[in-house]
Amino acid sequence: MEPDFIPTSFADFPEDVHLCILSFLTPSEIANFSCTSKRFVSLCRSNAKLWYALCDRRWGSKTQIRKWGNGKIGYRLLYKTLSEWESLIGFWRRSGQRSTSSSAVATAAVVPPPPLVSFEWGPSFVAGSRVSPSEDGTYGVVKSPFLWMSLSSSGEPVNFVDPDGKSGEFGSNYCDDSIRKTDLIPVDVNFMGCTYLVVEENMGLGCSSHRNGFRRSLSSANLCSDEEEASGSENGTFGSLPDRYMSEMYQNFANRTSPSRSGAARRQRKREKARQGKRKWEAEHFVKIIDCSPTPSRPLQGLWKGIGDCMKLEFYLVTYDEIGGIACRRVGEPADRFSGCAPVFWTSKAKFIEPPFSLEEAIMYDSRVHLHPTDEENFMFGEPPMENEPVSRILYINSSYDLLIPDLAGTTATDRRNEGRIWQYRNGTFGFGFLWDNFIIDLKHIALNGCLLR
Amino acid sequence: MASSRKITLRSSDGESFEVEEAVAVESQTIKHMIEDDCADNAIPLPNVTSKILAKVIEYCKKHVDASKAEDRVNDEDLKAWDAAFIKVDQVDQATLFDLILAANYLNIKSLLDLTCQTVADMIKGNLFPVRNEWLNFTFSIANRELVLVCLTEWVAHRRLFCS
Repeated sequence: MEPDFIPTSFADFPEDVHLCILSFLTPSEIANFSCTSKRFVSLCRSNAKLWYALCDRRWGSKTQIRKWGNGKIGYRLLYKTLSEWESLIGFWRRSGQRSTSSSAVATAAVVPPPPLVSFEWGPSFVAGSRVSPSEDGTYGVVKSPFLWMSLSSSGEPVNFVDPDGKSGEFGSNYCDDSIRKTDLIPVDVNFMGCTYLVVEENMGLGCSSHRNGFRRSLSSANLCSDEEEASGSENGTFGSLPDRYMSEMYQNFANRTSPSRSGAARRQRKREKARQGKRKWEAEHFVKIIDCSPTPSRPLQGLWKGIGDCMKLEFYLVTYDEIGGIACRRVGEPADRFSGCAPVFWTSKAKFIEPPFSLEEAIMYDSRVHLHPTDEENFMFGEPPMENEPVSRILYINSSYDLLIPDLAGTTATDRRNEGRIWQYRNGTFGFGFLWDNFIIDLKHIALNGCLLR
Repeated sequence: MASSRKITLRSSDGESFEVEEAVAVESQTIKHMIEDDCADNAIPLPNVTSKILAKVIEYCKKHVDASKAEDRVNDEDLKAWDAAFIKVDQVDQATLFDLILAANYLNIKSLLDLTCQTVADMIKGNLFPVRNEWLNFTFSIANRELVLVCLTEWVAHRRLFCS
């Protein structure tokens, strides 16, 4: 490319234009660019206006940049934090067992919270909400915010959990006094990689321990350090390898009698038990649901809601595996193939049958009853309550796990029982049903483009 | 009455362009001039040549028409149109830079974003022309081996952004 004589260069633009151009780049690209010319160095230097422009470009449409940290936070720090927290946005599901040694919670009486959680941008915070099916028999979902993550003026994370979901929408202001008066519980949100999250109560806040700005810290018991028990404070371990966190986490929650230096370990455990007793809220672990929306090549993928056999709305997650199979599970059930929990339906080959459909298939579809919300059925006498979507494609499914797990062959009914069909509709949703009954469970999206559909 | 009023814009080289008011007020600068009642005669734009003004008007017209259609599909088509509008084959770099200055002066946010994004993409692809003060001629940064970069400055300033 012949470079023509350029009458203006980057330096000749007004400052607004500089910021506009640089706002489309990442910090490292700006650093690289600034080194190409002495003049650029001064133009690209790190200043508040530049960092604000970067924040605004990336997240200005999703959150109110100027409100974070009570409006006093440095924008460079905000950029770093928001880049991290951006990976929270989306759907997560609760995982793992609850800690068994809790004495603060009467486990028999407590209903476990819904497994599906959605993180969204707020004006000056990130809000986590539990998403549960509504009980009124329609396709509606109930969203109850329970976790609130924001930043203080000095850039430290300030996270709270509302265990009863009574606070409704979180206000944008807080102060230490108001927090103590309400039921909000301070928590730490720890990232382990980009897809695993641990939210646990921060027992140190009440002791006014000085928290420095580390975000990758485990604030619960550390079984490996002598300094910990000597100080008795809530400082976490500052490792940088996720493996270390995983092993510490397993030690903490799985095996209470793990071997370590005996005297120190015993004192540690005793202190830990005492702390446990004062815990008001059980730690929760979350796994990110990646691929929660359909794509053109994976049209059935993602989170769906449908009225199941028991006429209650349930949430399903459909995933594609590496060999071209599709599996559908209820959200909250473990995804491990060998967990003993069979999926709702499963097929090893996602090959659709295109129209025109055979007469058999047409009869099979037309003879079925669509499971639709109960109040709509009041309008129906022999006619479908809502306009059935035209079927665009059909897929055979077979939930039998005989081939994979021979043990199950004897227990489940014959293959025929688990055979069924998926009818993909022209509007992108789909319904499924099995040969052994006469129903179609029609599924709708839980969210589209990241927005929850009520 | 005023809905399809025509506004006359005069470029720096004296050429007049007549446009609908809806198109003209895509520019916040012109919009304020009209609101302040300075628009009885032609609006003079001493910073914008006729060549650039023609392109700006073309852009604004397209976007006003697209928003009238009120169709979701048009989002994709509009993006494709924008990409073709700004494509560097069609628009040489001098024109691109003049468009940026015009969009900035006329305060047309979407055009400014479009043109600045193009420049940002050039920077990412190392195609941004650099006038090297020491050698006093202009060349593409792709000829990296010819650029004398002061290593200590590079290290010092890189730390600011990448720590």
